[in-house]
Amino acid sequence: MLKRFYYSLLLLLTGVGFWALGVRFMDGMNVTNLTSYFSWGLWVVFYIFFIGLSAGSFLLSTMIYVFKMHALEKVGRISLLSALISLVAGLMFVLIDLGHPERFWHTLVYRNMSSVLEWEIHFYLLYILLVLGELWLVMRDDLSAMSLNQIGIRRILGKVLSLGYRTSPTSEGRTQQIHTAERWVRILGMIGIPMAIGVHGGTGSIFAVQIAKPFWNNSIVPIIFIVSALVSGSALVTFLYAFFGKKDSDKPNVLASLTNLLILFIGVDLILVLAEFLVGLYSGIPEDMHSLKAVVTGQYGLIFWLGQIGMAAILPILLIRLSRINGSEVMKGLAGLSTVIGIIAVRINLVLPAYVSPQIPGLENAYVDSRLVYDYFPSSIEILSTLGIIAFVVLLFSIAWELLPIVSNNDPKTSGRRTENYGIDTKGTTHTA
Amino acid sequence: MSEITKEEGTQKVSRRQIISDLAKATFGLAAGVAVVSATKVQAEPSGAPQEQLPQSLSKQIPQDQMVLRMQRELYTAMQKPVDQRQWAMVIDQRKCVGCSSCTVGCKAENKLPPGVIYRPVIEEEYGTFPNVARRFLPRPCMHCTNSPCTKVCPVGATYKREDGIVSIDYDKCIGCRYCISACPYGARTFDWGDYYTEGTPELQKYELEPAFEYGEKRARTKNESPINNTRKCHFCLHRLNAGMLPMCVTTCIGRATYFGDKSNPESLVSELIGSSRVLRLKEELGTEPNVYYLL
Repeated sequence: MLKRFYYSLLLLLTGVGFWALGVRFMDGMNVTNLTSYFSWGLWVVFYIFFIGLSAGSFLLSTMIYVFKMHALEKVGRISLLSALISLVAGLMFVLIDLGHPERFWHTLVYRNMSSVLEWEIHFYLLYILLVLGELWLVMRDDLSAMSLNQIGIRRILGKVLSLGYRTSPTSEGRTQQIHTAERWVRILGMIGIPMAIGVHGGTGSIFAVQIAKPFWNNSIVPIIFIVSALVSGSALVTFLYAFFGKKDSDKPNVLASLTNLLILFIGVDLILVLAEFLVGLYSGIPEDMHSLKAVVTGQYGLIFWLGQIGMAAILPILLIRLSRINGSEVMKGLAGLSTVIGIIAVRINLVLPAYVSPQIPGLENAYVDSRLVYDYFPSSIEILSTLGIIAFVVLLFSIAWELLPIVSNNDPKTSGRRTENYGIDTKGTTHTA
Repeated sequence: MSEITKEEGTQKVSRRQIISDLAKATFGLAAGVAVVSATKVQAEPSGAPQEQLPQSLSKQIPQDQMVLRMQRELYTAMQKPVDQRQWAMVIDQRKCVGCSSCTVGCKAENKLPPGVIYRPVIEEEYGTFPNVARRFLPRPCMHCTNSPCTKVCPVGATYKREDGIVSIDYDKCIGCRYCISACPYGARTFDWGDYYTEGTPELQKYELEPAFEYGEKRARTKNESPINNTRKCHFCLHRLNAGMLPMCVTTCIGRATYFGDKSNPESLVSELIGSSRVLRLKEELGTEPNVYYLL
């Protein structure tokens, strides 16, 4: 019953969202409340939010597959799947933000080597292939089993998605296969680490390289992007695993590891944000100052203190601390959820405050037009399409979660991720909670 | 005051020069012909038909000679290969009266829709009453030598031409608005697809007429370029190609805007750039603007 309600709600939101997207594509960019001076808004906020979520989840997965943190093994597939779906969401947001979305292919044909955005688009496409490859490798045994043992849609999915791969019936063949998968996942993961850093550090650089916006134009911005990506990625995985992960004896340990990581990342993120704001406010460069003041005490203050500091830092730390006392998984999950939502505030406060002050003093009054103002609140079409895309990707994620072997990777017989059967010594690097 | 006298002094010199030039003219310089037409000396420039030549507005206004000089230099520059000319603009803030006729002229010439503006005039106020002063800062595109906007364009749709003009290929532009954020002068605006007479019984004809930016005849129709593209000042490239000065130069009632080829050391703009009053906006960013202000 609850499930039916959940899916109906998602479908409804997706439907409304796609109607809004239809309006946006029919009518063009004038359905937005963006202006020529306040040129990036809600869609860009969610674009960087989801790219960050993706990069963070992926980096978390590399801790398992590359750095052998076996304590986290149970969440490997969850992190890879959320990396994939988040990236899809991020790309959808950047697509609808284009004035001419039908020309998206120009980015692949016409090149400008000095553009960070141009590099990023290539990074995203390579990265999506890499995540897909890795996800397939860790699931292929289960997919092969699905195509044989399951019926109906799962059987078909297993047949299609296993791409003809079958688990070897002999034990040597099996060991060989596991070994191959193990090796390739590690190689892909190793390529993936610089790539994920490139994906999100680069996304940060899109902003950081702009000399026109002192609020962005400092070298700490790409670093904050990466660290806050790690925060959001580990928070999302914590939330998903705490609420929907398989209950077994390992779960408390896995959750403890995850929440430890989460607190570590939140701590580092806070230090960086503190550094950015203290240096900025102390220096007092006028344009930077306008933006920083808007964040700390101005129109973005509420989002900053409630969202960025409250929901993405203080609340999760408190919840995790309290959950250590009573061992509550729900509280850990809520800590994750609160952080993920808080990171939206972080993204809002990264993009929007850069536009609050005119590039040249007086420009705001030089020519009066509703599209020539330094003020922005998203239009209903922007909000609805954003909700719609989020609902759509949550729907995609839920379907994948239901149909694909995402949470069933704790069975040694179908897992490509156990190390008992072949002689690689991983004891030394194994982390425990 | 001394500044003004000095200014007039140079004007007198240049006028005298022009007249003596004209007297000697036997061929070639097109703008010269305009003045000369009054003195019945006919010299046909190669390739430029007579009817395009500028006519003297009034011989009584010395400022008019500046326009003729710029016009003549424009012809000279256009004879050169494109990579040997460097367009530059000089705006004399002491002469600017803040009438915004450059803004209006530009809006009309390029048929700019709501939200798109190439050359607003910023009004600055100084001092406290009773010691107050106003100054006006027309702000076209700076056509920077190190342009931050062309650097970030993911598809290379906006680029620096050899003659220094930062231009946009509307058919290539994907409308990501990265360049808008990257411009330190706010000189780029976006065509949101709005119309002035939207919501009235019918869109007025003047909004649907084509503009001729970059020499392309384009009417604004739904979701077609230039709608949903970034737009910017292009020094009226289409007018330059037709041998005309940019619209804002032509409509400036105080003759405060000068335009010409910086690579010609004898041009009016080169002379003015050599003034000690010259400054450029946000020079500390290293963008090397090609629009100069005389403070």
